[in-house]
Amino acid sequence: MSGRPPPEAPARKKMIGERVPLIDGIEKVTGRANYTADFLTAGALVGRIYRSPHSHARIIRIDVEAARKLPGVVAVITGADCDKTFGILPIAQNEFPLARERVRYRGEPVAAVAARDEASAEAALRLIRMEVEGLPAYYEPAKARVLGAVDLHGDRPGNLERDVHNEFGDLAAGFAAADLVREDSFDCAEVTHVHMEPHAALAEYDAERDRITLHSVSQVPYYVHLMVAQCLGMDTARVRVIKPFIGGGFGARTETLNFEIIACLMARAAGGRVRFKLSREETFLTHRGRPRTQIKLKLGMARDGRLTACACEVVQAGGAYGGYGIVTILYAGALLNGLYDIPAVRYDGYRVYTNTPPCGAMRGHGTVDVRHAFECLLDVMAAELGVDAMALRRRNLLSAPTKTINDLMITSYGLPQCLDWAEQASGWRARKAGLPPGKGLGMACSHYVSGAAKPVHWTGEPHAVVNLKLDFDGGITILTGAADIGQGSSTILAQAVGEVLGIDLTRLSVVANDSRITPKDNGSYSSRVTFMVGNAAIQAAERLKDLLVAAAAKKLDAKPGDIECLGEMYRVAGGQDPGVSLNEVIKEALIDSGTITVKGTFTVPREFQGGKFRGAAVGSSMAYSYAACVAEVSVDADTGTVRVDKVWVAHDCGFALNPLSVEGQVQGAVWMGLGQALSEETCYHAGLPVGANMLDYRVPSIVESPDIEVKIVESMDPNGPFGAKEASEGALSSVIPAIANAVHAAVGARLTRTPMTPDRVLDALVKARRAAASGGLKRSA
Amino acid sequence: MAKEILQLTVNGQPREDAVAGNLLLIDYLREVVGLTGTKMGCDGGECGACTVLVDGRPRLSCLTLAASSAGRQVETIEGCARGGRMSHLQQAFHEKLGSQCGYCTPGMIMAAEGLVRRTPAPTQAQIRQALGGNICRCTGYVKIIESVEAAAAESAA
Amino acid sequence: MEYMPEFTVARPSSLAELVAARRANPGAHLLAGGTDLVANIRRGIVAPEHLIELTHVAELQGIAETSSGGLRIGAGVTLAALIEDERVEATFPVVVEAAHAVAAASHREVATLGGNLCLDTRCVYYNQSEWWRAANDYCLKHRGKICHVAPKGDHCFAAFSGDLAPALMVLGATVEIASADGKTRRCALPDIYTDDGLAHLRLTADDCLLAIDLTPPEPGLRTGYAKARVRGAIDFPLAGVAVALRRCGADLAELRVALTGTNSCPLLIEGTRDLVGAPLDADTLERLVGLLPKQIQPMSSTFTPPGYRRKVIANLTRTLTSRMFDEAA
Repeated sequence: MSGRPPPEAPARKKMIGERVPLIDGIEKVTGRANYTADFLTAGALVGRIYRSPHSHARIIRIDVEAARKLPGVVAVITGADCDKTFGILPIAQNEFPLARERVRYRGEPVAAVAARDEASAEAALRLIRMEVEGLPAYYEPAKARVLGAVDLHGDRPGNLERDVHNEFGDLAAGFAAADLVREDSFDCAEVTHVHMEPHAALAEYDAERDRITLHSVSQVPYYVHLMVAQCLGMDTARVRVIKPFIGGGFGARTETLNFEIIACLMARAAGGRVRFKLSREETFLTHRGRPRTQIKLKLGMARDGRLTACACEVVQAGGAYGGYGIVTILYAGALLNGLYDIPAVRYDGYRVYTNTPPCGAMRGHGTVDVRHAFECLLDVMAAELGVDAMALRRRNLLSAPTKTINDLMITSYGLPQCLDWAEQASGWRARKAGLPPGKGLGMACSHYVSGAAKPVHWTGEPHAVVNLKLDFDGGITILTGAADIGQGSSTILAQAVGEVLGIDLTRLSVVANDSRITPKDNGSYSSRVTFMVGNAAIQAAERLKDLLVAAAAKKLDAKPGDIECLGEMYRVAGGQDPGVSLNEVIKEALIDSGTITVKGTFTVPREFQGGKFRGAAVGSSMAYSYAACVAEVSVDADTGTVRVDKVWVAHDCGFALNPLSVEGQVQGAVWMGLGQALSEETCYHAGLPVGANMLDYRVPSIVESPDIEVKIVESMDPNGPFGAKEASEGALSSVIPAIANAVHAAVGARLTRTPMTPDRVLDALVKARRAAASGGLKRSA
Repeated sequence: MAKEILQLTVNGQPREDAVAGNLLLIDYLREVVGLTGTKMGCDGGECGACTVLVDGRPRLSCLTLAASSAGRQVETIEGCARGGRMSHLQQAFHEKLGSQCGYCTPGMIMAAEGLVRRTPAPTQAQIRQALGGNICRCTGYVKIIESVEAAAAESAA
Repeated sequence: MEYMPEFTVARPSSLAELVAARRANPGAHLLAGGTDLVANIRRGIVAPEHLIELTHVAELQGIAETSSGGLRIGAGVTLAALIEDERVEATFPVVVEAAHAVAAASHREVATLGGNLCLDTRCVYYNQSEWWRAANDYCLKHRGKICHVAPKGDHCFAAFSGDLAPALMVLGATVEIASADGKTRRCALPDIYTDDGLAHLRLTADDCLLAIDLTPPEPGLRTGYAKARVRGAIDFPLAGVAVALRRCGADLAELRVALTGTNSCPLLIEGTRDLVGAPLDADTLERLVGLLPKQIQPMSSTFTPPGYRRKVIANLTRTLTSRMFDEAA
C-alpha cells in the first residue's frame, strides 16, 4: 500500500439543495419566452366565441347564416359540428365543446367564428341569433337541490353530481368521550385562478394529411390530446399538442377546456390556422375555480385538547358541468385526515350542479375551505379549554410512519418542526398576548398530497416517463411531458438529472411538451411532478450513468463496479490514475450504440393508492407536505380593513431540491391564500359574473401584500426524489384560518365567511362589540 | 380604415409605420413591430402586464393609442439588454426568482426600470408604490421586491 | 389584436385648434390620459366616431402661480406631475394626498386632473363588456330602459369615483371652462356636478375643462383625505372624504367636508358651518356625522354593499376630522 493519497478529485457538481435560477428564466426576463398568443403566424384566422346570454335554456335554433355570409368570415361552427362530450374524468364527461340542445350557464360557448380580421369576427358575432325556451336557473345549491328542481343533466335528481358518506372509526364513541363538543358553520366564497396569461389557443389543420396541431396553455397536454382526438373523431396519431411557455395555471388548466377543442374544430372547419385569444372576461367565464363551499363542522375534544371525533358536512356549488367535481368533493373529506391524529371522522359531501360557470381544480384542490373551517374551530376550542393554539396542535400530532383511519400512508411528517419554527420566529409566546388593540397573531396548520396516487385515466402505464438523449455533442437532452407552467418543474428535472450524473446545467437542456417528441406525462396537477417525474428522471439518469460507467470501465480497462463518477471525470475509485473526461467517456459510449436514449419511469406502488372503499383513491398519495403558519394582522376599526403585516410559514417539503424555488412556491401559495382570505370572490348577478375583470376581482396588489418569511423543513421522505415532497400547494390553506384567527385575536370578532372583506369585518366588529356589551351587562347584573 | 404614418423610436430604432388611428400601442408593438415581450393580461388597465416606457416613464400600452406616441421614445423589455447581456433588473429578476411563470415579468421589469431611472436607490415603500399597478399571481411579490432591491444595489456598486 | 371600434383622432396643439376640432367633429369625445375613456371604449360602453386628444393643447398644461398667490393647475396636468410638484405639495398637500390615492403609479403617469374630475360614473351593471350588458338587457345609463340598481325608478345611480374632487372642493377650488366659441368662464367646482348618474357633469357637449384655480389657503388650515378601498392600489374609492378645517384656540373656526363614492357626483357637505365656534367634542363630531345620511345615497352600484359605504364614510369622516382638529392645535 503506497502512502500517497489519491490525486485531488475534481469537485463533483452538487445540483440539488442549491438555489438554482430557473432553467428558462432568461427567456422570461428578456421577453424572448413565447407564450401561446405570441406566435405571430402570418395569415392565422381570428377565432371568436359566441357565448350564451342565458343561464339555463333549451336551444330552439341558432341562426348563424347572416354571420356566415359576412365578408371576411371563413367559417362558423355550432354544437351541430360536434356531438361528442368531453371532460377530465372518464365517468363524468357531460360537456359539449359548443352547447347542444341546452345551455346551462351564462357564458357557455354556443358558436364560434373564424374571420380574416378582428373587425369581421366581431361583426359576425353580433349577427348570431339564439332562439331558446327558458328553463329555471339555480345559482344557490340549496335551490338546485329542492324537490322538483329541473335536473340540469337529466340523470342527477336534486342536481347532486355526487354525494359522499364516509365514516371511519367510532364516531359516537368519539363524541361521547369528548369533554368539549363544538359545532359551527362556514361559508367560503367561490374563487378563481386569475393566472396572468389569459387563455389562448392556436390550432392548425393540415387538410392534405388530415392532421391537427394545437398550441395551447394546458397544464395537462396529454389529456387535451385525448379530448381533441375524441371530439374531432380523429385518431390520436393525427393530433399533435404543443405546450409553449405558460403564464400560470394554478389548476385552471388541469383539464381540457372548451376553447381548446373549439379551436381545433374551427381549424378543421376553416381548413387552416386559427388563433383564439380569450379576453380576461372570457378567461373568468372559462373558470374551473374553487367552488363556493358551505361547511358544517363538529369537533369533539378531551379536556387536554386531544381530538376525539370529527363530523363534517360539505356542500359545494359546482357550476354547470362535471369537470373535476367528483374529485373535489372527495378531496374535501379525505384530507380531514392526514394532518392530525383523529380517532373518528364522519364526512358527508354534496356536490351540486348550479347554473354558473363550471368549477374545477384550484391550488389546494378540495381541501382549502374545509381546512379553514377546521383550524378556525380548533382556535375556538383551544380558547375555551385554555390551551395555547400551538400546544393544542402538538397534542394531536401523528407519528410517521403511519396509516390513517382512511388508509392514507404517512411516511414522513415534519409538522412538529414546522410548529416549533413558526412559534419561535413569530415570537408567539412573548407577543401573542401583548399586542396593542387592533393587532393580533393567529396560527394554523395544513397539508397536501405530493401527487394523486392514482392517475385520472387508469391505463396501467407507468405514472411518469422521462427520456434522456445523449448524442455526439456531449449534450444531454431531458425529454419530458411534464408541463412547466412557471412552477419550475423543468428546472427541478434538470437538477435531478445533473445531480445523479454530477454535471451542471451547461450540458443539460430540457424539451418539454410536444406530443410528437416528448414522452407522455399525466400533467402538472396535484403537485405530482417533482415527486413522480422527479423519481422517473432519477431513474433515467441512473441508467444513463450505468452506460457511462460501463464505457469508462472499458476505456480504463477496469470493472464497472470500480469506476467512480465525478461528473466531468470518470476514474477508478481510489486509484492513482487521473481518469478520463466525460467527453471521452461519451465518445466511447457512442461507439457501439450511436445516439443513446434511456428511459426512466415511475409508478406509485399499489399500497399507496388508497383503501378499498368507494372514492378511496382521492386523497391517497405517496407523501404529504406539512405547513404551520402564523399571521400578524392589523384591523382598521373605521374601515374594517384587515392588513396582514407579516406571515411566517414553515413548510415541510421533505427535501428542498431547490430552496430558492421552494421559497418562491411557498410564498406564492401563502399569498394566494391571503387573497382568498381577504379580497377575492366571484360574484354573480343572476348567473352573470359581476366582477369578471381584474379591477373587481381583487387579486392583492404589491402595496398591501406582506412580507412572507419561509422556513423550509426537511423531513426526508423515504420515497421522494432525494427525499423531496411537494412545495407549491400545502401551505396555502394554512394562511386563511391563520388570518381569521389573528383577526379574532386582534378585535374579538369571529368571521365564518370568506373573504373577510372590509364590509364583513365591520359588521363582525359591530356584532362583537354588542356581544361584549351585553356580556358585560350580564356579568355586572 | 385610413392609416397614417407613425414616426417614433422603438428601443432606440427610429421607425415609420402606417397605422390605423384606433390601433393600441400594445398591438402596434406586438403585431406590427413583432415585439411580443409586452403582454396583454386584462381587458384594459387593470394588471400592468403591458407596461412599457414612453420617454422613460412607465405607460400602460393597452390604454395608449399607438399614434399618441408619435415622436416619442418607446422602450420595451426587448430593449433592456445591452450587447446581449441582461440589464441589472433582468439579471436580478432571473437570479432572485422575481419571475416564475414570467407573464407579468416584462411589465414588472419595465415599471421597475421607470422607477430606478429616477430613483436609483428606492426604498421598499417606493418599490411597492411604483409597482402598485402590476399584478403578479405567482410570487406573492416578496422576491420581486428583493429583485428590484438587488438590481438597485448592483447598479450602485 | 384587441378589437377597437373605428374612430378618427384629432390632436390640436392649442385651445384655438381644439375649438376648431370640436366644431369640425360634433360629438367628439375628449381623450386625455385614456385610463377611463380607452378602458370604456374597449368595453364598448363608448363608441366614439371622433376623438380629440388633449395632450398637446398648451393651455391645458402647466402649474402656474397666480397673482393672488394661489395656483392655476391645467386640467391636462397628469397626477404624477401633480404629485411631484413641490408647490402643490407645500401649499395644498391634500391634493397630493388625493392624487396619490388614485389607481396606481402607472395610471397616474397619464391620468390627468381634468380626467379625474370628469371621470364617468361607474356601476357594476355598466362597466361590463358588450356581451354582459346585452345579456342583462343593458341599463338606463347605456342602451337600456331600466336601472338594475333601482329597477322601479327612472334615475341612474352610477357612482362618481374620482378622488381629486373632494380634495379640491374643501379647498374652495374654482374651475375654468372653455366653451365651443373659445370663451372661458369660471365657476365653483361643485357647480359642474349634478347628482345624476346619467349625466353628472353640468358641462355642455362643447365645454372643456381648462384649469383648476386654487386660492391660497387660510393660515392654519388643516386638510386631509381618507379613502376606503380593499386593496392598497388600483381600486376606485368605495367612499372617500376630504376635510379642511381651522381652529381658533380650542374652537373649531372653519370646517369643510367633501365626499366621493357615495353619490353620482362628489358632494360638499352642507351644514358644517353650524358646527364652528365650539370645540370639536364628541357631540359635535356626531352632529357632523349626522349631517351625512340625508345628503348621501350610496346604492348597490358596487358589489360592496351600500350599507358598508354609509358606515365607512361616517367612520372616516369622524376620525379624519378629529385628527385634523388635533393636528391643527
